[in-house]
Amino acid sequence: MSENHLNVQRKLWENPWGYVESFFIGFGLIVTGFFLEVFVSTSNTFTLSYPFNLYFLIGYVLTLFVLYKWFSTSQIIKWLTKVPASISSITLVTFMVMIMGIIPQVSSESNIINNLGLNKITSNWAFLLILFQFLTCLGLISIKRILQFKWSNFGFILNHLGLFLALIAGILGTGDLQRLSVNTYEGKPSWIATNSQKQEIELPFAFYLKDFVIDEYNPKLALIDNKTGSIAENDGKNLYLVEKDETYYIKNFEIKVNEFLATSARLGDRYHPVNELGSPPSAFISVRNIETDSIINNWISSGSFSQPYESLKISEDYSIVMTIPEVKKFSSDIDILTQEGERISTVLEVNKPFKHKGWKIYQLSYDDKMGKWSNLSVLELVRDPWLPVIYIGIFMMIAGAFYMFWMGNKITKNQ
Amino acid sequence: MTWIDFPLYSSIVVILWIFGLVFLLISYKKEAVLKIANLLFVAGWAVLILFVLKLWIELDRPPMRTLGETRLWYAAFLPLVGFVTYIRWKYKWFLAYSIIMAGMFLAINYLHPETYSKTLMPALQSPWFIPHVLVYLFSYAVLAASSIVAVKGWYDSYKGNFDLETLKLADNLVYIGFAFLTLGLLFGALWAKEAWGHYWTWDPKEVWAFLTWMGYLIYIHYRHFHIHKSKQALTILALAFVVLLVCWFGVNYLPVANTSVHTYTQY
Repeated sequence: MSENHLNVQRKLWENPWGYVESFFIGFGLIVTGFFLEVFVSTSNTFTLSYPFNLYFLIGYVLTLFVLYKWFSTSQIIKWLTKVPASISSITLVTFMVMIMGIIPQVSSESNIINNLGLNKITSNWAFLLILFQFLTCLGLISIKRILQFKWSNFGFILNHLGLFLALIAGILGTGDLQRLSVNTYEGKPSWIATNSQKQEIELPFAFYLKDFVIDEYNPKLALIDNKTGSIAENDGKNLYLVEKDETYYIKNFEIKVNEFLATSARLGDRYHPVNELGSPPSAFISVRNIETDSIINNWISSGSFSQPYESLKISEDYSIVMTIPEVKKFSSDIDILTQEGERISTVLEVNKPFKHKGWKIYQLSYDDKMGKWSNLSVLELVRDPWLPVIYIGIFMMIAGAFYMFWMGNKITKNQ
Repeated sequence: MTWIDFPLYSSIVVILWIFGLVFLLISYKKEAVLKIANLLFVAGWAVLILFVLKLWIELDRPPMRTLGETRLWYAAFLPLVGFVTYIRWKYKWFLAYSIIMAGMFLAINYLHPETYSKTLMPALQSPWFIPHVLVYLFSYAVLAASSIVAVKGWYDSYKGNFDLETLKLADNLVYIGFAFLTLGLLFGALWAKEAWGHYWTWDPKEVWAFLTWMGYLIYIHYRHFHIHKSKQALTILALAFVVLLVCWFGVNYLPVANTSVHTYTQY
């Protein structure tokens, strides 16, 4: 109760600064940022890369330390280590991120969005300035608690310092983050990568793609509305995977799969198993109309890049089609050839990257048009030297989360 | 041991759990029967684990490939997290919630056996999938509960008999929920690094998950220093839950939706 009275009596900018002043400063930063966006806008985004980002980090942390140690009686430092500054900066960062969550971050036709940079929030001055205040608060209070040397601050430091490290390393690390993609072809060595600006870069090692393999799920059966050509509703259920000797019920049709061929070709009045480039899956199905008891059977096929698809019309309204099989897994069997003449064999797969000399190598994509007959496999190489710092931050926060779960709100002030 | 035995095993589990829930309900009147409830929950859980292990041995691989198998893991882990939370915080309703959710996953598996072999895109085939979804499942449940407490607080203060204990309960729930929320977010980041090469890409779902996290962060900081301003705290809590709902359901309807990796095409 007394807090409210104090607020009424004290004047604006009187010591100590409260919420009004905090939001005033915060909005000031955001407005300044937007002014910078409108009048000083540059087409290329400004990033720090090694060693300047490292210098910046060291300088920043030292400054924070010096400010806390020797200037903690000054008005601004006192304010930055108090709650109103934290809450206002958390709220305003949330506000800026919310813009990102509503306005698509792609080029826009609206002049307001373009001029204020609302479609590129992550490099927007307003966002960067308020984030800078947020980080400064976070850094200062982390230093404050660390210097207190108390066990009871353990959870606090894990959470706050963890977030500080993850954020600062993430932001400064973007300048050193390299993401390259390499097109590799079966039976050929490749060592030319392209970066996000489409520039070609020669790698100090080469990839030799021995084999690119795609595992597919079986195709699915779908009921198509003949008039609209789209998939007819089936009580919200998923489509059925085609499997031999299975019977499925869609609306009032009973569909039996008599035969299923994973790769096949039409020869005369039926499909035969063949294994050639572009041979699609096919199935021989019989469809019984449960109401009229009439039966229709024929071959259907999903088709491929080289073969047409075949559907089966089962009534005036509906047809049965086979969908293009979905990919279950794709992997590249590669050799990495180094300049020293080493040959490292590995298999790359989605979710299973491989580490080599500071690079993480990922299976990215392939030629979708060719599907499982693709002999192109696109690999991605990522180098992020700041990752260890980010991981330290993340793992500190994970530990902090467990601490929080266990302690709950037992440490509430004044209680 | 295959899925053919599933109806038998799952029925045993569900029956044990239903009796457990009944005893849990009675325990609100008569504390002593709570032990029986816990015993029944543990027994049901043991049967479930037995099934998972036998299935694992039979398949000769960890049963984690199909949606049905994934649900089986949810059903196995939900009671475990429920127990840990219960042992620490003694919220009986939370134990009941985790058991009911687990039972629900078993029931879905029983009713929709055709989804056992469902397609799952390569990026989703990862050991991170289950922990990522599971901690979010818990986080949302606990945070939803904190919002219910907030509504009660509002109603009470409208009636003029607001009790600070109500807000303390909300606080505790937010702390627990926020811990799970943090884990969900960070597990997601670690997974994304393995699957897409980067831990944070400002995907719309990520943006809203981050906003949810920030919303509850505001609440925690506000509560920590303004113990007696209950009205404002309740308002922040309500707003944070609105953001959570946008993250959970709303993202798909926002103009940013089509750039998300979290919206999967479903027929």
